[in-house]
Amino acid sequence: MASTAAVPFWRAAGMTYITYSNICANLVRNCLKEPHRAEALTREKVHFSLSKWADGKAQKPVLRSDAPAV
Amino acid sequence: MAMAVFRREGRRLLPSIAARPIAAIRSPLSSSDQEEGLLGLRSISTQVVRNRMKSVKNIQKITKAMKMVAASKLRAVQGRAENSRGLWQPFTALLGDNPSIDVKKSVVVTLSSDKGLCGGINSTVVKVSRALYKLNSGPEKEVQFVIVGEKAKAIMFRDSKNDIVLSVTELNKNPLNYAQVSVLADDILKNVEFDALRIVYNKFHSVVAFLPTVSTVLSPEIIEKESEIGGKLGELDSYEIEGGETKGEILQNLAEFQFSCVMFNAVLENACSEMGARMSAMDSSSRNAGEMLDRLTLTYNRTRQASITTELIEIISGASALEAAK
Repeated sequence: MASTAAVPFWRAAGMTYITYSNICANLVRNCLKEPHRAEALTREKVHFSLSKWADGKAQKPVLRSDAPAV
Repeated sequence: MAMAVFRREGRRLLPSIAARPIAAIRSPLSSSDQEEGLLGLRSISTQVVRNRMKSVKNIQKITKAMKMVAASKLRAVQGRAENSRGLWQPFTALLGDNPSIDVKKSVVVTLSSDKGLCGGINSTVVKVSRALYKLNSGPEKEVQFVIVGEKAKAIMFRDSKNDIVLSVTELNKNPLNYAQVSVLADDILKNVEFDALRIVYNKFHSVVAFLPTVSTVLSPEIIEKESEIGGKLGELDSYEIEGGETKGEILQNLAEFQFSCVMFNAVLENACSEMGARMSAMDSSSRNAGEMLDRLTLTYNRTRQASITTELIEIISGASALEAAK
């Protein structure tokens, strides 16, 4: 990479583009007027459980729930 | 053993037999007992068939209900899957799809369902993932699995548990949405190192046709390397870049966003295929239950008629014997 310019502030903070765009999207959603705002916020619910594997065994699953764009 | 069970059932069925002393039934030597046994057995077999018919009917009800549920869920998810196709198409137009690219670190993302009873869609993705593993593994090459969904996890656990790095379940609890999938994509990106991500899922064509599909997402470094070689990716240089960002940064952002978009589409397509497969599986199982029910009804009626006929013959011949004795 030929980059010498400073990396964007959000990447310096350890975010990926996805997290960054999610935060932006959430900000936009919060700007909606009321009936639409609640609807948009309830639509984007996060729920899944993720477990890392080591030595052929699943470790304790981490539940990611209802925290859009942490 | 079976006879004993039949006799016991027969006693419950025919109170007239049950009223007789049990000792008589226990000794099978006397002729009258044998008759009773046969009598009990005859009506008992209809009882067994009747129970069987009842259970088949209940199963048919359940499969029909499951089919209805799958059909209505399918309708909801199908529209969204079709709309989400617009998300990855620009990326494929820009970056191309390189399923045959040869890289050191491949990560196979296998998408499957959490629940079963949906035909062969989970075993096909697992088969394709294994084929990808064989194609891409070799000396100095590494393949790892990220598994979404309970079913593929259960199958992959048997033979490739050492290559699994991440597994994700309970994705379908809420209706699928982009925020959820992007958080998932983010988690996957943070936890694996890759040169190429290969997402394996069932692409939804129609209610009865699902194509196991591989979408490839390359890491920014590989995209840059490929674009230097030329070909489809070589056209990237003809794009002007606005703002202070470099090509590398842009590519990294693009690759990350591409991954989350492709994942979103893949998850939706897979959910759609799952519902379609469940629908057709449940349809055929309720049809099978119907056929079985028909066969059982036929047997039931035939035995019932036979026993009625025998009883009639017994009565008539008994009556005529009395007549002759007079």
